[in-house]
Amino acid sequence: MDFKKQFKEGLLTKNPVLVQLLGMCSTLAITTSLFNGIGMGLAVTAILICSNVLISALRNFIPSQIRIAAYITIIAGFVTIVDLLLQAFIPALSESLGVFIPLIVVNCIVLGRAEAFASKNSVAASAVDGLCQGIGYTVALIVVCVIRELLGKGTFGGGILNGGEGIRLIPSQFPAMQMVMPVGGFLVLGFVIAGSQKLMKHLEMKNKKKEAAK
Amino acid sequence: MAQMKYFYELTISSSPHAHSPVTTRTIMRDVLIALVPALLGSIYFFGFRALMVTLVSAAACVFFEWLYCQLLKKPCKTYDLSACVTGVLLAFVCPVTIPYWTIILGDAFAILLVKMLFGGLGKNIVNPALAGRAFMFSWPVLMSNWVKVGFENAAGIVSTADAVTAATPLASLHQGVMCSESIGALFLGNVGGCVGETSALLLLIGFAYLLIRKVISARIPVTYILTVAILTFLFPRGNDRIAWMAAQVFGGGLMLGAIFMATDYVTSPVTKLGQIVYGIGCGVLTVMIRYFGGYNEGVSYAILCMNVCTVLLDKIGRPVKFGAPKKEAAKQ
Amino acid sequence: MKTESSAAYIARLTITLLLITAVVAAGLACVNAVTAPEIEALNAQKTQNAVEAVLPGGGEEIAFTDDSGIVSTIYKGQSGYAVEVTPAGFNGTVTMMVGVDTSGKVLGISVVSHTETAGLGAEAAADNTAGNAFRSQFAGMSGSVSVSKDGGQVDALTGATITSRAVCTGVNAALNAVAKLG
Repeated sequence: MDFKKQFKEGLLTKNPVLVQLLGMCSTLAITTSLFNGIGMGLAVTAILICSNVLISALRNFIPSQIRIAAYITIIAGFVTIVDLLLQAFIPALSESLGVFIPLIVVNCIVLGRAEAFASKNSVAASAVDGLCQGIGYTVALIVVCVIRELLGKGTFGGGILNGGEGIRLIPSQFPAMQMVMPVGGFLVLGFVIAGSQKLMKHLEMKNKKKEAAK
Repeated sequence: MAQMKYFYELTISSSPHAHSPVTTRTIMRDVLIALVPALLGSIYFFGFRALMVTLVSAAACVFFEWLYCQLLKKPCKTYDLSACVTGVLLAFVCPVTIPYWTIILGDAFAILLVKMLFGGLGKNIVNPALAGRAFMFSWPVLMSNWVKVGFENAAGIVSTADAVTAATPLASLHQGVMCSESIGALFLGNVGGCVGETSALLLLIGFAYLLIRKVISARIPVTYILTVAILTFLFPRGNDRIAWMAAQVFGGGLMLGAIFMATDYVTSPVTKLGQIVYGIGCGVLTVMIRYFGGYNEGVSYAILCMNVCTVLLDKIGRPVKFGAPKKEAAKQ
Repeated sequence: MKTESSAAYIARLTITLLLITAVVAAGLACVNAVTAPEIEALNAQKTQNAVEAVLPGGGEEIAFTDDSGIVSTIYKGQSGYAVEVTPAGFNGTVTMMVGVDTSGKVLGISVVSHTETAGLGAEAAADNTAGNAFRSQFAGMSGSVSVSKDGGQVDALTGATITSRAVCTGVNAALNAVAKLG
């Protein structure tokens, strides 16, 4: 188990949103305010860790013919639990994310990690994988959220800061509403992916130079 | 590397190597000339702000194209005037009261995102001016702030506060009610609407010029306008079929869209059959959006939708290769 | 490994899946037992708040007859009624609460939930100058309301005639339903 490697993969080189392009539906739909991004990210992270741990623990027990059905049942169970808890204790978040909480069931990140990682690795490694992939998802979501919210509403921290109004950075007549509409989601996600690729290339070059210097 | 520099300046293509004086620049110049009557008309209808909006938009487009080439260290081709055409067309599909900052942002979207990021002229998949307009609906209130025609009502060059606002004929058509403007006024352009779209007559003069100069073929505009005419004639709202049809054809942006935007070389099909299907598709979508959609005007979205289909439409009506075996011909 | 078609193997698959679903279902039942009362209380509170926003003092649900098909609930209070109506807006249903006093005058309206376009129709529910001005103009109206474009006295939201019309339809349905109650 290599925590550092897994963390780097989850955050950047195998980021679920920016590299694996998983979970696009929620990424495009709810990234309109910082509150949504953090809330969705944490919800998915929690579900990812739980489902990874349980699936990893049961990996020798579940026959391969019915594994997908078993995984989906387990994932759906955790998602419903989170959904109920949010409705009961954080109703504001539940209202703001709406149908996208139940839709985590079909979020390919969760099933993807179950199939690609948890079903083949130890419980501890799967828990770490769930955490790292969840953090990667959350960070990507927050970046997209901050950009879309700034360009589309002219605020920062909507839903949390300044009593939920967010801190106004651009006067209210200027922001481009399309950026918080679906089209803005596609545009911003595209640019964020391009930016992350550039960053990765830059880091790689740096590493190579370092090695060459040695 | 020194030789490579010259290498880039050569245009390499397969035969025939026939020489033609027609270049992108001459084509775009003809399009601009064809737009002049409509521009003069818009100044007459809406005042000098119409001219200012058009000039600012064209200048902004050229600037953004130049800026992109400078930033990415690419050869600059702004002399081909295509950015200028995009700027003028974008200004033509906005209300005259549009603030300058809004149209400059629309220009930036059209040129930087829709045109240059896809690889520049010839590689964009949708019409930059129309995509720019769609983006400018980020400010829906500014994009539907119509003024009454006539110099005395005109918006000032700096401030639009004095302008007298009024609904456009399309707004009442959208509600299924015949507009109060006469068909003659709709044809001449003496009605409210976007900067360059109101006068069917002046746009048709431009159309005639483009046809004479052989810049565009009549296929797309004619099938487009005919489709709209037939559909609105068959399904009128109100008693007077002919008047309803005429109002749908001459009111709004149909003429401008059909003549100057649907015919954009890059985003329309090249085969004859493809062009006809494209024109019909634009017409059907326009009528559908005008009748059932949320917006008053459907021309811009109809053309954008068909732009995306162009790559498929290019596959139909492709001529069979000379001497190709029958099987292969069938495959195509 | 056993052959995949043997009865024993199929039984094992079935039982495994059954076990998993049973455990998941049991877990969900436990969580539901904890959260169900909380959620119910929250929803009741939400409805009560919506009623109180348009009808000072709140009210109790009563039976009613409805021809318009968009009146979902009526609450009767001290000073009048709060009517929940669900007219069709631009993108979907607009759920709103209309307060009507005993003489058939609108006390106030509030939008409970909607899916209108942000920046246009959504202003009908927004807590800002445009939204408040739009909603407050209904107070005191009676009989039949409509937007000024249709010859009425309600100023429509800029660029959102359809949403404004939907709100008017809702208010009219509420007024009619209360008139029927007598």
